[in-house]
Amino acid sequence: MLKLIRLEWKKNNIIKYVRNVFIMVFVLLSLILATAGELASKEVGTAYGKSMLKAGVEMFTNMSFIVFTSTMLASFIVGAYKNKTMNLMFSYPINRKKILLCQMLAVWIFNFTALVLTKILFYAVLATVRGFADMAASGIVLNSGMFYAEIFVNSAVMVSVSFIALLAGLKMKSSKAAIIAGVIIVILTQGNIGQYTLADNVPFLMILMFLSAVSVFLSLYRLETRDVL
Amino acid sequence: MPYILQTNHLTKIIDGKELVKNVNIHVKKGEIYGFLGPNGAGKTTVMKMITNLWKPTEGAVELFGETLTPTSYEVLKRMGSIIEFPTFYDHLSGKENLQLHCEYMGYYNPGSVEKALEMLELTGAAGKTVKNYSLGMKQRLGIARAILCRPELLVLDEPTNGLDPAGMKQLRDLFKMLCTEYGITIIISSHILSEVESIADTIGIISHGSMVKEISMKEISEMNTAYIQLTTADTKKAAYVLADKLELNNFRVIDEHDIRIYDSRISTNDISKAMMHNDVEISAIGKKAESLEDYFLKLTNGEEKSC
Repeated sequence: MLKLIRLEWKKNNIIKYVRNVFIMVFVLLSLILATAGELASKEVGTAYGKSMLKAGVEMFTNMSFIVFTSTMLASFIVGAYKNKTMNLMFSYPINRKKILLCQMLAVWIFNFTALVLTKILFYAVLATVRGFADMAASGIVLNSGMFYAEIFVNSAVMVSVSFIALLAGLKMKSSKAAIIAGVIIVILTQGNIGQYTLADNVPFLMILMFLSAVSVFLSLYRLETRDVL
Repeated sequence: MPYILQTNHLTKIIDGKELVKNVNIHVKKGEIYGFLGPNGAGKTTVMKMITNLWKPTEGAVELFGETLTPTSYEVLKRMGSIIEFPTFYDHLSGKENLQLHCEYMGYYNPGSVEKALEMLELTGAAGKTVKNYSLGMKQRLGIARAILCRPELLVLDEPTNGLDPAGMKQLRDLFKMLCTEYGITIIISSHILSEVESIADTIGIISHGSMVKEISMKEISEMNTAYIQLTTADTKKAAYVLADKLELNNFRVIDEHDIRIYDSRISTNDISKAMMHNDVEISAIGKKAESLEDYFLKLTNGEEKSC
């Protein structure tokens, strides 16, 4: 499995994605710092202002990585079907389900790791800029295990729900469809209408997780008996 | 006779459309099997089923003595293939693509990549990214990849597409060499007759999704022996001379001017003399041989002539 995942990264030029993540992180960090500065300059040292800081980090990073995951799924899997490299993959003496599962895992592991590291980096930078005590008041406690557990769980959920986009891309045989599906997931999970948002709505996220599992299941369903068109 | 590959009543229906029906192929170990047919006859469909990319609607494929099932993965280790056109990871070099192939095939043999590149005269372009390859170079790289892991069976679907005549000749020589020196069995599809005629041991002809004929090249050459073509204004009288005076019965009146005499015992000289003695004017007479092309056109009702 690990070898197949490594090969997926190699043949899909993972260095390119690493570079893109770095660029994205730099842009996002600039935005976050600008927001933090804005909050400081307006002296919104209130609980609302502090929670906004955390919400800002979560929103920006989750949004970006949901779209990034959809884009990678579009390239690694939907694109492979389109440009027929999947035919080549299925001519190897390897179980088809294992091949596709490794492609999914290659995307999941990359994005999960990148998202976790990005969040930790952002919180660490903010803590350095604004002071640890101020951050703790915002619920960002860098020496707490629970804080990191929350980052891990939240990142895993966000990257996983992006896999709904995979089924959209495969069914419509379109990389664009996968990316658009990713954007729709962003709107659903991170958007808000006035005060109302589904970002922290646990039942809603569980439904999305279920749909994501269905998407993965259907992508793998009867893969051996399906014709590679 | 043990066959390395055989199909039994192979049928494929997609969306109610019958792409191929009851195709029976028999490929002997160590031979080159030419799979001929006009464009759209169903060659690629059959090849996709042989390589397990597509699953038969009816019938079965037997490879190395085992019936192919949707989960027959091990058998793929013993095969090399090009179906339709070879696909690559364009941002990787030719050499990296071949190395990647070895990793997936679980084939580790130092120097094999370099050797395959050398055989296809791609050593100079080994480090170049595939996106900078020409169509012919990609085709050759595809063949290098197909033969890289020393397969027992090569399944090649129109492998010379995009190659110039010199490239085609080079590949024909390579296929012959692979067959004779390495004992690799090759099934090669084509609609270009001359490409297959000179290298194949057995020919399978497919037309409109059905197998029209499967025959060895030896049988073709025996069956289509040379004939004498006689052109005359009076075929009736000429036929009378052939039958009554020369006592021949193995001849056929083709049209109102031409007669073909298949009897190998008689010479053109004897026929000319007999015709002259009986006042039959001859406008042309000469020995001819039916080529595979004629045979192919006859079987496919002259549907396509590509060379």
